[in-house]
Amino acid sequence: MTAGSWLCLLAPLGGTILILLCGTRIPRVAAAWIATTSVFVAFGGAIWAFLGVRSTTGHVGELTTAWTWLQSGNFHAGLQLLVDPLSTVMMLIVSGVGGLIVLYSIGYMDGDDEERRYFAYIAFFVFSMLLLVEGGNLLMLLAGWGLVGLSSYLLIGFWHDRPSAVRAAKKAFVMNAFGDATMALAFFILIAHTSSLSFATDFNVHLSSTATNLIALGLLGGAAAKSAQIPLQTWLPDAMEGPTPVSALIHAATMVTAGVYLIARTHPIFEQARTVELIAAGTGALTLLVAGLVALVQTDIKRVIAYSTMSQIGYMFLGAGVGAYSAGMFHLVTHAFFKALLFMTAGLAIHALAGEQDIRKMRGLGRVMPFTKWCFLAGALALVGVPPFSGFFSKDSIVASAAALGTWYGWIFWVCGIAGALLTGLYTFRLWFLVFGAGSAAGKAGDARPGTGSPTAIPGGEPSPFVREHYHRHGRFEGPLTMLVPVGVLAVLATVGGWLQWAPKWHPFTNWLAPAAQTLAAAEPTSTQEYYTSAATVIAGLAGIGLAWAIYSERKLAIPAAPFWRRLLEHKFYFDELYDALFYRPGVSIANGLRREFEEPVVLQTSADIGEVTMETGSLVRRIQTGLLRTYVLFLAGGAAAVVLAFLIAK
Amino acid sequence: MAGPDVAWYVATAAVLFGIGALGVLIRRNTLVVLLSLELMLNAGNLALIALSRHWHNGAGQIFALAVMAVAASEVCVGLGLVVALNRRNLSLDVDTLSELKG
Amino acid sequence: MSASSLTSILIWLPVAGAIGVWLLPLSRYATGALAMVFSLAEVGLWIEQAARFNFSQSGLQMEERAKWFGDLGVSYHVGVYGFSLWLVGLTVVAMAAATGYGFWVGRDRPRGYFGLMLLLTGATVGVFQAQDLLLFYAFFEAMLIPLYILIGVWGGARRMEATIKFVIYTMAGSLLMLAAIVVYGLKVGTFDLVDSPASASRWLFLGFMVAFVIKAPLFPFHGWLPDSYREAPPEVSAVLSGVVAKAGLYGMLRIAIAKFPEPTSFYRTAVLALAAAALVYGSLLAFRAADFRGVVAYSSLAQSGLIALGLFAGTDLGFDGAILQMVAHGLISASLFLIAGVVERRTTTGEFRLLGGMAKGRPALATLLMTVGVISLAVPGSASFAGEFLILAGVFQRAWWWSAIGAGAIVLAAMYMLRLISAVLHEARGSTVSDEALDLRPGELALVVPLVAGLLALSAWPAGISHHSFFGPSPTETVKAQFK
Repeated sequence: MTAGSWLCLLAPLGGTILILLCGTRIPRVAAAWIATTSVFVAFGGAIWAFLGVRSTTGHVGELTTAWTWLQSGNFHAGLQLLVDPLSTVMMLIVSGVGGLIVLYSIGYMDGDDEERRYFAYIAFFVFSMLLLVEGGNLLMLLAGWGLVGLSSYLLIGFWHDRPSAVRAAKKAFVMNAFGDATMALAFFILIAHTSSLSFATDFNVHLSSTATNLIALGLLGGAAAKSAQIPLQTWLPDAMEGPTPVSALIHAATMVTAGVYLIARTHPIFEQARTVELIAAGTGALTLLVAGLVALVQTDIKRVIAYSTMSQIGYMFLGAGVGAYSAGMFHLVTHAFFKALLFMTAGLAIHALAGEQDIRKMRGLGRVMPFTKWCFLAGALALVGVPPFSGFFSKDSIVASAAALGTWYGWIFWVCGIAGALLTGLYTFRLWFLVFGAGSAAGKAGDARPGTGSPTAIPGGEPSPFVREHYHRHGRFEGPLTMLVPVGVLAVLATVGGWLQWAPKWHPFTNWLAPAAQTLAAAEPTSTQEYYTSAATVIAGLAGIGLAWAIYSERKLAIPAAPFWRRLLEHKFYFDELYDALFYRPGVSIANGLRREFEEPVVLQTSADIGEVTMETGSLVRRIQTGLLRTYVLFLAGGAAAVVLAFLIAK
Repeated sequence: MAGPDVAWYVATAAVLFGIGALGVLIRRNTLVVLLSLELMLNAGNLALIALSRHWHNGAGQIFALAVMAVAASEVCVGLGLVVALNRRNLSLDVDTLSELKG
Repeated sequence: MSASSLTSILIWLPVAGAIGVWLLPLSRYATGALAMVFSLAEVGLWIEQAARFNFSQSGLQMEERAKWFGDLGVSYHVGVYGFSLWLVGLTVVAMAAATGYGFWVGRDRPRGYFGLMLLLTGATVGVFQAQDLLLFYAFFEAMLIPLYILIGVWGGARRMEATIKFVIYTMAGSLLMLAAIVVYGLKVGTFDLVDSPASASRWLFLGFMVAFVIKAPLFPFHGWLPDSYREAPPEVSAVLSGVVAKAGLYGMLRIAIAKFPEPTSFYRTAVLALAAAALVYGSLLAFRAADFRGVVAYSSLAQSGLIALGLFAGTDLGFDGAILQMVAHGLISASLFLIAGVVERRTTTGEFRLLGGMAKGRPALATLLMTVGVISLAVPGSASFAGEFLILAGVFQRAWWWSAIGAGAIVLAAMYMLRLISAVLHEARGSTVSDEALDLRPGELALVVPLVAGLLALSAWPAGISHHSFFGPSPTETVKAQFK
């Protein structure tokens, strides 16, 4: 099974290197297939590893070391891979969903100038992500963590002649670097106390509560940055500048969920620092509400889905934070299916409309793209958590485990979860009705912003003029087959993927994860809690859908004006502005000030002055050098006489 | 064989050295300056040899030999320079040769 | 040839090469080719030296010793330790790349130029191998002379100003060091670095430190740095920041810390503060610098600060990390300056407002600059990450706030490096970037790719250096025992 894990890790790296070395000597499509094949080979390796873990008794997993990567004093960290139930789940998701997305990219990126570069990057991303989830000690995890950040930077900024893409890429990288830094600080505390970064050693020592709390806080900082949780969430919406498959892969299915994986992986530390763990849960609860609210007013199709991702990861943080690791991980799995599906169907729409992402222009698209429409619906229902779609099974357990805590904050989390379900229904089906809907009165009042909608009413859900003008088909289908097949597969998975586990009765997934991340007893809901929570979330979700139907399809309800709230939401609660004023601007003015007030006038001027003074002294002294031989001789004789005289006097 | 007292030799050397030094200081002809330099060196030699004999120590004589070798090389270079200057029709006045002034 | 004569050969072969280049009336091309042969021979010899080096043996290896001024206890004494071996390797590799760059661009007055480059190689190798204080001083000075001339003759428009600053700063430091050497040597009766005992004199410590702090440099002794790095020919900047600056840091370890344990701990906080100031200050200024070389210059200042943090942390991880980071940063800044030169040759400028969009149609340039750039911002998993991680983990054991400052500076590093990358490669095409500006030519690739390959190899196995620099399990003990 360890061979499987190495194969899984190295196949995408091999793909990247191969594409890079071949360069322009191979056709673009070959590069695309190299990347796709390498990721599917990785999936094969993941299955191999999974079967290996399954066949061991107790599902304990195994650690393999290639060589000692870093060593100093009595600290050492190997290039290690860990195959255990938790990492195999992640490997399967990353390589499986990743493979589908890379396959989808073949169609999506077809015709781009720099396809080869894209596929090299995306294979490298899959490698980094696999390193993150397979890394057998904290240092390897951090290495994967950073490389994932790097490849997401490369992919967000893939269209690097667009200033907005470059800016978004830099923003994502710097925010992630901040998370890396807090994680590194946490590791320094661990090294100072235990001289080790291995999972086994660090998780079995008991440190002072201050140290543990700080370590957990550092880890949480990294997790929040990578998973776009408040207060480090602002990079994710901007990251939608990348190609859509990138959004699907990185910013939905895999990378952003790494924070949840981190909490599950390092849960022994978080359990010793229970306060910090609950802070994580609170962060998740807050993020899921805030992101859900902001999603209500976005007009870019990908940004709506991006905020929905933040919101769903908020659920996962909530689950992992209260101690229901398997519930959080299960939601991670189903979310990977349905969110990738949503992004990819959105990608089909964007692709068909030649790059347009504004939902106000897309109305009536369902009429011309039925396949896309139904697949999107499957994803949307899964996202809202309508039974029997996958989201229902995973989201409800999270909310139920909040109830299981039984404390006052447990109930706050529970209420947040239910309210989040309502919001999810509302923003998801706002999207659905605006883009694919066939609402009779659609278009009268436009979307969220009054007056900015389509000016003329189109009866009977006909495609809007924009759609009619820009829509173009690829042959007989709505897109190339390489795009439609993965979408179809994911639609099936988003529908049935949740049947793996139904918490009250049937929980193989939780049992599978138990050896690696045992759910806390305090977060183990009773069947009753499961039932009434399920009922509440489903009702809330359906209410949200109904509300969306009434507002955006039937136009029976008007959106309240509330200009203050609207502005607040449209500015995403002013986080960007706040950080700009708090960090970026002061940083820039300090740097500029240092340069203007210190470096140039003091440091550089001093050295210039020293030079000046030396030169001037030199030009004074050089007058002695007359060039006249006889003056020199006079000095010589005078000097000699002085020396003789000095000796005589001294005697 | 008793010769004059060593003081005479040293006095002669001092006089020779003084004449040489004065020559270097006041004469402007390069050739004469060189001659005066030779005079100073040989004054030194005279003193070295006289004192070497006086103290029965051979080191002075060896030193004098070294000085003679240096003087010979110096004359070679010096005269070579003078000839070179002459061939380029440059003045032999040391005061006009002041290109190296600061 | 015996293993111990390798050390001397590594020093004197390039010097002989320099004399040969100066004396032989060769053509422009033949001169460059001859210099390249010598540089590459150095690399080969170093590989041989590394292969024969015994990492499981303590003390000085491949030692050569001959009387010089016996009465004063001065001798010609050379040899290598694990950490000096890596720095010698860095020197010969970076010098070969720099010499190759000079050959590629066809520097004027080739005999003078290549002779000086070879002399610089020999002197720098000598600094890292000398085991006698006076010999160390001689090489330290011999290393500076070619640099003065290289900057002053082959530099940019404001080269004289840059040279004067460089000369004055380094001379001031060197003379104080000479005074310290003389006093120390006469006091303990020998100038031998291996034999001489530790000293508790704070004045002597400061005398040495001034020279090293200027050479490294640390804040606020970097007045010479921005001008020199900007005005020198790019390959000389590469050597200056990649290798020569490391001589200052090496001196801190080999002399200041090893020979003056008591003053080291007395001044530890002060030096750490200077180093942290260099780190933060350099990062901030790099973030606002308006040109390619400006960013790299100030980031070198920041990196020197970081390495000094590791050295003066006085912990196992700090020492190992500092050596690893010296080599990693040496390769990084050498590659970055060479790439800066390559860009300047195509666009005639390094100013960001005139550059941009170079990635389009120039995949080799884009890939290499991107690779070096992300390694230099210490992306986790890279060699420089390993070095910075060890340094900060090491200095954390001294006090947590040094690491917090360092971690903050790493975020700043991401900001300035990404700014550089996007200003050169991305967004709209700059006004000086023409369509005709070519991608990297094979000759240029042959210079930069080996450096980058070295960085990638180090990234795969940083323990190769971090665990093979000091004998024994604990570098701190080794340093305390003065490497014996």
